[in-house]
Amino acid sequence: MDRLYYTPREIAEILRISDDAVLDLIHRDEIPALRVSPRIIRIPVAGFDAWREGWKPRRRRVAIRATSNRIAIGEGEPLPEGAQALRR
Amino acid sequence: MIEATTDELLDYLADVIERAERLGATVLPPNDAESVAWERDGDELFMDLAVHPPVGRRSRLVEIVLRERWRAVGRERWLLAEYGYELRDHEHAYRRALHRHDVDDFVRTHGVATHEHCEATIGNPACDHYQADSPCRGALDGFDRLYGVWLTGMKPDCSPLRCLE
Repeated sequence: MDRLYYTPREIAEILRISDDAVLDLIHRDEIPALRVSPRIIRIPVAGFDAWREGWKPRRRRVAIRATSNRIAIGEGEPLPEGAQALRR
Repeated sequence: MIEATTDELLDYLADVIERAERLGATVLPPNDAESVAWERDGDELFMDLAVHPPVGRRSRLVEIVLRERWRAVGRERWLLAEYGYELRDHEHAYRRALHRHDVDDFVRTHGVATHEHCEATIGNPACDHYQADSPCRGALDGFDRLYGVWLTGMKPDCSPLRCLE
């Protein structure tokens, strides 16, 4: 299976810098990383590779446009039984 | 309850896309364009964003969808009324989702506004709705949580979750 993420320790080895230096880069939001729990940080391989190559995503221009195509969130899923009874 | 101004929501959508791309995900059309948009219907704004995590040719088998509905609560002010953040991994055939919708029904029945879905095999849930670990703080939080699930490379373990019965 393809490798999907690195640990901060692995990044330190790849970049040949200290663990603390890696954590500093992560806290400064330079290396893209995910905090999956209070003690666990993961660095996606694809995000790290892109960062190392100097790639940055382009910032989108965002507008608001009219639609009549409403998005239904949770559509099709069973509702709580009590709610279903009330709707019957 | 999460509130935001119109300007904050414009930045927010750009932030979510930027976050996904920085972590290596591919944003799907129409939000891969230079210019993207919230959809507005009356007093409501909708986000509908889909991305593929980066797993080469297999990435088409995995999708994270981020949907939100914001309701106007004043001039240029919005309230996050509903969200649906979904991870469907068809390679490993599992689904994880973080939801807030039909709030009145869920509060009346279960006393909670948010819930989760966990299907170790898509279409075969052991429980219709699970208690949410904690409400999401928005699409950035929802994306990070689901991306973290996908990064494990394994099916989720639904057994520690508490079923809403």
